[in-house]
Amino acid sequence: MSSTEQGTSSAAPAEPTTAPESAAAPEVPESFYYVHGKDKVVHKVSAGALQHSALIHGMISNLGYTEEQAKANPFPFENIDGDILQMVVDWCNQHKGKPTPPEDTNLPKQKEKLFDLVLAVNYLEIKELLTYCCKQVAMMVKGKSPEEIREIWMIPTDAEDEAAEKEAKKRAGKEAAGETAAAAGDAK
Amino acid sequence: MLLEKISACWDYFIKAKLPEKSKSSPKCRFPLLQLPRVVLLECIENLDVLEIIQFSLLSKRAKSIAKLIRWSPLNIRLLHAVDGSFLICLRLSTDPGVIWFIAYSNQKKSSGYPYFQSSLFGPKVNHFLFQWCDGSVIEDIKQMVGHICEVFCSSINGIDIVEQSLIEWIIKFQPTIPHVWIMKGVITSSESLDHTLKNLKVTEHLGLQSTAIDERFEITNPISSRFITIDGSNWITLPSILNGNNSVIVLNDSMLTPMDINTILKEWQKGSKLQNLEYMRIYTTTLLDAESYITEAFKDLNFTDDVGNDERPTTVERDDERTQTLPETDMVFNLIRSDGMILSIFGHYDVFEDEKIDMLLHLQVWRPQV
Repeated sequence: MSSTEQGTSSAAPAEPTTAPESAAAPEVPESFYYVHGKDKVVHKVSAGALQHSALIHGMISNLGYTEEQAKANPFPFENIDGDILQMVVDWCNQHKGKPTPPEDTNLPKQKEKLFDLVLAVNYLEIKELLTYCCKQVAMMVKGKSPEEIREIWMIPTDAEDEAAEKEAKKRAGKEAAGETAAAAGDAK
Repeated sequence: MLLEKISACWDYFIKAKLPEKSKSSPKCRFPLLQLPRVVLLECIENLDVLEIIQFSLLSKRAKSIAKLIRWSPLNIRLLHAVDGSFLICLRLSTDPGVIWFIAYSNQKKSSGYPYFQSSLFGPKVNHFLFQWCDGSVIEDIKQMVGHICEVFCSSINGIDIVEQSLIEWIIKFQPTIPHVWIMKGVITSSESLDHTLKNLKVTEHLGLQSTAIDERFEITNPISSRFITIDGSNWITLPSILNGNNSVIVLNDSMLTPMDINTILKEWQKGSKLQNLEYMRIYTTTLLDAESYITEAFKDLNFTDDVGNDERPTTVERDDERTQTLPETDMVFNLIRSDGMILSIFGHYDVFEDEKIDMLLHLQVWRPQV
């Protein structure tokens, strides 16, 4: 299991030699958590960056992890490809503690990855990034003809939908028949 | 005016021989329908009006998905441009600076259809989708409008009717409609006119260009529209006007007599009828001389000059978007009603060689500032 440290400065603030006279509260060291995707590559992400993900934020709040515990038990997201999780972590780091701009230029540009990215972002409940991704999806068909839209978004025709539905029904029928036969065999 | 601009724009686009859109197949594919429903809907919500329509036309499934979104109500109008082309005009109340048009052509076929164009008119943007139509443009438009109404859960706001079949269609499809403009020659019989008036409820503005109907035909029931513009209005009788609640009445080629006008003025002043009247314009022809006409029309009425005519508005609101500027005039007669409202009457006439007089009268109702 390898580990990458993404855009996070983990250096703890230096201890002041003398206590400041002002009443400013001492800076709390930032805590970090660890996540990995399907490829098992662990990403170290600050709690601030992870605030973007309602799912992870909820998990942290509920589990009350210490940093050591978190390091030993990275959050596993086996349903997210490693490169997609990397994109998400990058985005969360870039937008840590910042108001999200109306147009996001930091959105990953690889359109072929957009589908997986949208699924991951939806799963991780990163609302702002999901909004940007959905805009990006809509932009894919800007100025396109109906046939181009059909092709880009892979929209089946009515005939194709009907054929697929028929096929699904047929398959379900066969499965049901198989189950009945198996049950009858068991009974014997 | 808008239609002229649109028409000019259309011509320009056609003449400019638009570069054909890229035929190269798109490289990137995205299985949109495999997205979780809530995400799919969020993606679709980012489309503009024309894109939503295009998407919803792709399949029954795409249409049912598009219908799941609660779109802002769409203002839908079917327009007939000066060059004879048809347009579907779409506006969102949430985005008043943008108008979307779907324009149909069956005259100059090019492989470039359908295609988009956008144009700026001052601060406003017009987006066009140009569609090719192999068969009947009107049939295509009916289908398209039906589809748009369904997807956006909206009703038609206005229609220019250029042939009888559209009247039958709109009566079936949406018998209550805010704006209707029936073009010259569409109504060719008194039965057809009667049928239209009885079955089509126009709530805002009914415009009817001249009809070729039996001269003996007349109506005594009111027309319910707030605003009526009728050319060849000889069939509209005094009771029809007096019993109506119209706010703006424009009657061309009217058969109303000076005595009828006298009755209108007296009834207005009494306050029991024509309570909503804001403006009335009557264009009529008479064999009376102007003095006799005016004497009869103004009989037993007490006109006053003692009102501040400077305060009289110079425009009349036709609808939410348009106002009509009234002609400037020095000679104005004013009637005052008990509630303080004033009816100003003014106009002009032209005498012809056969001694007929063309008379144009404006009746404007207004409230003086306190």
